[in-house]
Amino acid sequence: MNTFYLRVISSNKIFFEGRVEKIILPLEDGEKAVLAHHENMVIATSIGEIRITTNKGEQVVGVVGEGFVQIVNNRVVLIVDSAEKPEDIDRVRAKEAKIRAEERLRQKESLKEYKQSEASLARALTRLRVTEKI
Amino acid sequence: MANTKEIQNRIKSIKDTQKITNAMYMISSSKLKKARTDLENTEPYFYTLQVALARMLRHVPEMEHLYFDSRDGIKEEDRRRGYLVITADKGMAGAYNHNVIKIAEQELAAHPNSELYVVGQVGRHYFAKKGVPIDIHFQYTAQNPSLHRARVIADKMLENYENGDIDEVYIIYTNMKSSVVVEPQMIQLLPMKRTDFAGVPADVFHEEITMEPSPKAVLDRIVPNCVMGYIYGALVESFCSEQNSRMMAMDSATKSAKEMLDDLNIKYNRARQAAITQEITEIAGGARAQRDRS
Repeated sequence: MNTFYLRVISSNKIFFEGRVEKIILPLEDGEKAVLAHHENMVIATSIGEIRITTNKGEQVVGVVGEGFVQIVNNRVVLIVDSAEKPEDIDRVRAKEAKIRAEERLRQKESLKEYKQSEASLARALTRLRVTEKI
Repeated sequence: MANTKEIQNRIKSIKDTQKITNAMYMISSSKLKKARTDLENTEPYFYTLQVALARMLRHVPEMEHLYFDSRDGIKEEDRRRGYLVITADKGMAGAYNHNVIKIAEQELAAHPNSELYVVGQVGRHYFAKKGVPIDIHFQYTAQNPSLHRARVIADKMLENYENGDIDEVYIIYTNMKSSVVVEPQMIQLLPMKRTDFAGVPADVFHEEITMEPSPKAVLDRIVPNCVMGYIYGALVESFCSEQNSRMMAMDSATKSAKEMLDDLNIKYNRARQAAITQEITEIAGGARAQRDRS
């Protein structure tokens, strides 16, 4: 199986580094899988779940915030503002964040505030959805 | 010469102050340790982001984008500049706050048409006292910088920039050059300068890069991230420098308190000795007078 070099960098740590077979990325309009020798590309990614298959066949799942992925010469760098393992997620906190965001969305807010609340709601929902599976 | 009671009082008060400065030294050194790890953790993100942006700009150099638009149509004197000034919440950190404020004042004097966004109590109070108008809703602490705070600040700056309220955004912060040297710095955040990223010669092989959904959409995503990353980096650097400055200031305060104590101890001993000698002389003199009488 062909592999490629992947780095997932979040703002406070290096989430993943190593050779992998495949990574599935969340995009605005669905998901995208990247295999080895992909075309050179820069893609904006959105809040969601990443699934990595390493060269040893292990599965690594992570919840990521907004960011982008850069694919150049069979090297992939995913830069996101946050990345967490499902087991590190605090479900109680995520639930509270979800309720807060929903409450804020019900108020009449400026466009900027609306977008912020929407983004925090999306983050909370993704966290809850991914942790539900384990 | 002061009497022994007075000297004792001074010694006591200096000892109390020394206890405080020593405690502050310990506190800032432990905070510094934490801030350093934060800084190390965020560095890979910060640098990779810059490298990625540079690479993209090399491939699409002709791209027009809001964040790279230097707004040449606006005359120099009409340009509104926004300065993000990062100070501390407390003083007692040597020249740390002063250095940052000095740069901000120089810039204000050179460009009166500016707006200040101040992080940290000390800076806010300083400018409020001087009557310099600052954004009063911009209330952020400099303590324990978090990604969330950086994001809120970045959103605010980007919003003002996009609305055209300000045409240029600068950030004034303190850079931690090494564990002993801290240096105040000013960098331009927006509009991003293309030359910042053009470090590579033109004749290297340029591979084609496709951007999805479109170059504009990708830049829309990356640049705010980059601005946020910069602000977060600057907040962390400043916090680190603040703790470092306070640590050094408190260390030297403790040291000079010790010197003063040594000095005062000698003075105290002398005063005590003088008092004893005087008493003995008085007693001896009194005794002799009594003897002479009998």
